[in-house]
Amino acid sequence: MTDISPEMWANVPAGEKVAPIAPPAPTYGQEVRRRLWANKPAVVSIVFIIALVIAAFFGPYFSPHTYFKQDLKLANIPPFFETYAVTDGAGEVTRFFLNASNFNLYEVDADGNMLGLLRGGRKDMIKKSQPYEFGDQTLMLDYSKLPVRLLLEDGSEVRPSGWSWNKTYLFGTDQLGRDILVRQLYGAQISLTVAFVATLVNFFIGVFYGGVAGYMGGKVDAVMMRFVEIISTIPLTLYVVLLMVVFDSGLLSIIVAIGSVFWVDMARIVRGQILSLKSQDYVAAARTMGASPARILTRHLLPNSIGPIIVTLTMLIPSAIFIESFMSFIGLGVTPPLASWGSLTSEAVETLRAYPHQLFFPAAAISLTMFAFNFLGDGLRDALDPRAGR
Amino acid sequence: MFTYILNRLGMMLVTLWAIVTLTFFLMHAVPGGPFVSERMLAPEIAAALNAKYGLDQPIWQQYLNYLGRILTFDLGPSFKYPGVSINSMIAAGLPVTLRTGLLAVICVVALGVPLGVIAALNRNRWPDTTVMFIATLGVAIPSYVIATVSIYFFALRLGWVPTFGLDDWRGYFLPVFALSGFWISFVSRLTRSSLLETLDQDYMVTARAKGLRKGQILFKHGLRNSLLPVVTVLGPVVANLITGSFVIEQIFALPGIGRQFVLSITNRDYTAIMGITIFYAAILMVMILIVDLLYVWLDPRIKLTKAAA
Repeated sequence: MTDISPEMWANVPAGEKVAPIAPPAPTYGQEVRRRLWANKPAVVSIVFIIALVIAAFFGPYFSPHTYFKQDLKLANIPPFFETYAVTDGAGEVTRFFLNASNFNLYEVDADGNMLGLLRGGRKDMIKKSQPYEFGDQTLMLDYSKLPVRLLLEDGSEVRPSGWSWNKTYLFGTDQLGRDILVRQLYGAQISLTVAFVATLVNFFIGVFYGGVAGYMGGKVDAVMMRFVEIISTIPLTLYVVLLMVVFDSGLLSIIVAIGSVFWVDMARIVRGQILSLKSQDYVAAARTMGASPARILTRHLLPNSIGPIIVTLTMLIPSAIFIESFMSFIGLGVTPPLASWGSLTSEAVETLRAYPHQLFFPAAAISLTMFAFNFLGDGLRDALDPRAGR
Repeated sequence: MFTYILNRLGMMLVTLWAIVTLTFFLMHAVPGGPFVSERMLAPEIAAALNAKYGLDQPIWQQYLNYLGRILTFDLGPSFKYPGVSINSMIAAGLPVTLRTGLLAVICVVALGVPLGVIAALNRNRWPDTTVMFIATLGVAIPSYVIATVSIYFFALRLGWVPTFGLDDWRGYFLPVFALSGFWISFVSRLTRSSLLETLDQDYMVTARAKGLRKGQILFKHGLRNSLLPVVTVLGPVVANLITGSFVIEQIFALPGIGRQFVLSITNRDYTAIMGITIFYAAILMVMILIVDLLYVWLDPRIKLTKAAA
């Protein structure tokens, strides 16, 4: 106690403010940010979504391939394969791999870059074999029984020398020889564009509709909500299907189709919020001060219901992605050769038995994206709800 | 009760009329008639076809004709398959769709609710985290991905079930699994959170304090009160199973209504699209009405007159 100087013990003069010993109270925004950052899955989701957006919109520029260029000679190439190496009499090494599903040999270099399709000799239809010549060496491709074998002239089987990744087509190629990675990225671009634009459309229509219905109340509200009820009696997907039948298929049509019905959820939520908020004192105060309904709505009511609106918005994005891929899957989505995750999946189903890798990538991509948006939505809901997280 | 049902039925008719009108004018807004195809028809044949299907009449007359036919439960002829009526199309597909759909609903209730209960009773222990992890997977993965991936693993790789068709009873496994996957996850999540909330209630403490048996506390006091939100989602479950069946029946080649619908879309068979949509809407509205009545029966606190307002 001796190190406290005597004047510290003096009384504070009357009227002088004493600084409170407490950190500044965090604002609502800071609280939300803190709670969101504490939620690990949500943070990972945000990082994933940002990475996906960057990859989808800039990735295709870094690829030597395009989403539409076909190369039937290099169709259905897997993303990784077992390479064989054959050395001929002159000491030259030829590396290649065998596509066990279409019985073709493809030449590759030591790093796994594709060099092209190897041309074999005449197929022996009776013995079910095909000779391949490498300098003075001849290999027989024997497909009389599965799995296919490569035989030397003396009848001994050639063994693969090891696994290698496909460096030219990282994700392999589809049944028309198009690069799956680039198509995948274009698919992501389409899905994300549809998701964000349709969600934005839903946001504006839904907030406006719900806001007007909630604020006006009475007969207007009853009529407007009856209309919403009629729309939402049958699944919204069904309307999108019907609208897509009417429109020509294409990106714009999907956005219009999704945007024209999916606002009903948003309208309902906004209306509910407005209904509960409009009896608050501050609204009465604003009205007394002569604020117009439009001003009360945009300045007082909507900003106060921003939490549920944002949560609904993040929940709308995955459902828009899902609807788009769903439509593309049943053939009502984007027009070929454009790719979407849904159309990539349905193309992959056709070749599922022989080339399951074609299914893996779009399926994984859409599942991961749906995960990310779901987690983000959950995280945002917890973060924006002032009662949660205590 | 009676006036409530009457009220609801009246509302259903209005909704159905709105949907009929909407689909009718949507389908007539499609550019090109139903007989526009790659093969040019001779003008006489086209005129005869139009006369046969009443397409030469003014549109309001066609609309009234269509409404009149709907009132007698006649959805009209198919434009693509001569001599086939939409009614017979639906009748052919309905048993398949009903069977898979019903099995899926049973799976949703019989798996979703118990999983949710297990998770809630073991809160934050391994059964809870396992169930919630699987449920998160199920909610996020689209049904067609579940379907195709499960075909690959269970039908192609393991060979346990056929890849398509319903000739074999094992053929039901994958379609039902893919159809109900999302809703099993959804219902188990819902049951868990609802039961957790109920377990915190004062009357649960009272029940425990009275020394009731554990099973009685759980089933009579806990579960019965926490199942109400689950019943509410059963209406949307039916709706979702219907739209889900488009893709699932397509993937598994099941001859149901969903596949018929997708087929009509690719064939541009406009009367079939209209007819099946109206049929779906009618079925759904009846389902939602049933769920609402069930709800009232389960929760006596809800007054019907209030719900009608």
